[in-house]
Amino acid sequence: MIGSRSPAWLLTPPGLIDYDIANEAMHTLARRRLADEIPDTVIVLQHPPVFTAGRRATEDELLWDEATVTARGGAVRRIDRGGSFTFHGPGQLVVYPILGLGSRPDAAAHLRRLEEVAIRSCADMGVTVARRADVQTGVWSGEDKICAIGVRLLRTRVTLHGMALNCNTDLAWFDGIVACGLPDHGVTSLSRLLGRDVGVEEVAPIAIDHLADAFDLRWSPAPEEISRPLAGAAVA
Amino acid sequence: MTSIQMPQLGETIVEGTILKWLKNEGDAVKADEPLFEISTDKVDTEVPSPVAGTVTKLLVAEGTTVPVGTAVMEIDDGSGAGSGGDGATAPIAASPEAPAQAAAPAQAAAPAPAAPAAHAAQPPQQADQPAAPQTPARAAPQTPMPDRGPRSNILSPIVRKLARERGLDLATIAGSGEGGRITKADVLAATAGTAPAASTATATPLPAAGPEGAALMAAPPSMPAGQDEDAQPMSHIRKAIASHMLASTQQTARAWTMVEVNVDHLVRLREDTKEKFQANYGVKLTYLPMVTRATVDALHEFPLVNSRLDGDDIVTPRFVNMGIAVSYDAGLIVPVVKGVDGMNTVGIARAIADLAARARSHQLQPDEVQGATFTITNPGPYGSLLSVPIINQPNAGILSLDGIQKRPVVVEDDAIAVRSMVYISMSWDHRLIDGELATRFLARVKHNLETWDFAEDLGV
Repeated sequence: MIGSRSPAWLLTPPGLIDYDIANEAMHTLARRRLADEIPDTVIVLQHPPVFTAGRRATEDELLWDEATVTARGGAVRRIDRGGSFTFHGPGQLVVYPILGLGSRPDAAAHLRRLEEVAIRSCADMGVTVARRADVQTGVWSGEDKICAIGVRLLRTRVTLHGMALNCNTDLAWFDGIVACGLPDHGVTSLSRLLGRDVGVEEVAPIAIDHLADAFDLRWSPAPEEISRPLAGAAVA
Repeated sequence: MTSIQMPQLGETIVEGTILKWLKNEGDAVKADEPLFEISTDKVDTEVPSPVAGTVTKLLVAEGTTVPVGTAVMEIDDGSGAGSGGDGATAPIAASPEAPAQAAAPAQAAAPAPAAPAAHAAQPPQQADQPAAPQTPARAAPQTPMPDRGPRSNILSPIVRKLARERGLDLATIAGSGEGGRITKADVLAATAGTAPAASTATATPLPAAGPEGAALMAAPPSMPAGQDEDAQPMSHIRKAIASHMLASTQQTARAWTMVEVNVDHLVRLREDTKEKFQANYGVKLTYLPMVTRATVDALHEFPLVNSRLDGDDIVTPRFVNMGIAVSYDAGLIVPVVKGVDGMNTVGIARAIADLAARARSHQLQPDEVQGATFTITNPGPYGSLLSVPIINQPNAGILSLDGIQKRPVVVEDDAIAVRSMVYISMSWDHRLIDGELATRFLARVKHNLETWDFAEDLGV
């Protein structure tokens, strides 16, 4: 409530950004953030279809074999974040905050803030969604998850990975996995809840405002050497 | 020797799994070099070394899930045996950035978890309460600490319960905590060989409910609901409140002092200006911001009332973060007006209105309910005449503003007149404060309220 906002770089590369390129860029930025070479940085983007498996994912949670995934134009990646399987793809707002947590890191608070960004963004769009402490981290509409959250920390002090909010995601992709390791829960999107087509471009500016509020950030332009690797990474 | 523990990654994360050792026994490590990978529900991280040295011991197997604070690795950093000092606290706290923390605000340095509030802030998603502050696990020293008196006086209920469950004689355990105090980690270490083998990879030695569960389980024998009675499980928030309240009554030496304050001119001022105030500032004018302002001034005059105990140290912030107790549908929450000493009464009124509204709509951020250096509770509007609040640890005191009431009082020249009067009282921790100070502090609050002209401060 009181206190000055710290300057942060906001990267919003247009198009669908290849997962591997984004993942590598995120890790590079995080290592530089750890060394205090750069300020807090937030990446907001969309990916082409990709299933990612967190450290808690088990193989049987991938319901399609990899050949099927490939045939459908997707990919599978095993990565270093917490959590289970999730899906990223067109129509999903993906946010990767690379933030220094200081000397008293509170990862739980970081998760709560990510949830808060999703809750407030959905509220602005006209949808009431909520946390489900009884189920799992993330944001839900009833029994359906609308925003998945998974995080990794570098040396407990810098955040990696983040949140994925379904805007007009093709939810059929989620049939390929046991999303977040929860077989009895479904997924949903803003478009489905609002009964109209809600694209990432409509939600992103709202979410970016709430990101600044929730994490106490003030956006400042990133130098070209930082934004370039991602800016040119859109797939056709 | 430095003992590395499962780090605390946040209030609600109570355990973690060792995914992978990045260093083995005998390996040399540099300060801040990653030692191992851990996984919690939704957060994975590598844990860096707080010191440079040589890994002497891995205490648990890969894949094992242990509670936060459990010692998992030992590093010989050349500091010799038994120096379970700073380096032995959670690796995070001892990370290279830690020195900056000495000057950090109370919320960063406060050893206790946040008020009940921290939970209440986001009722729907909170998990169980984390390890309680009274059991900071430390490296077990090689030689027993000197005995500084009857240990039973300084044992936490968790330690007593744990020892009882495991049939341990506490007199045989060397305490590694403050002043030779026996900690949970000491009991766990003493029973490490005798604990029943876990059937799965989970080696959690405590019931999942954690310390608050332990404290609550000390309740009288079970009396299940009978006919014409309803039973409902306690919410997480209810449990958190119960645990904090119980802990406060058990861990503070609470005393209580009251003054009676003539607020006649404040009542008149409010009646005359409340509409203009609301029009000017968009919030209602109540007495709470005025009392807060008067209290902040008294805290500056008597800083010890704004202090807290940290082990054997009395920590006195040079700023005031005012906790304001707010009741809402899920229970009680204590949002904090940070830097309240830099605000005038208008600023305080706005800040309280904002925090209270967001508390009631469950919109508070976790850090907005942490770091109070003093607390005010305000049961007056509900009709109380006198209250004896429980101290919001680690604060030294909590002030209660009860209901304003017209009373016949003796005024100048021994005449009897009708005046608006209020009882303002404080529960205070006799470990930190004595009666003279508590009384002079309250007298200062009374003096401020009876003599200040708030009209200018209110801009009305």
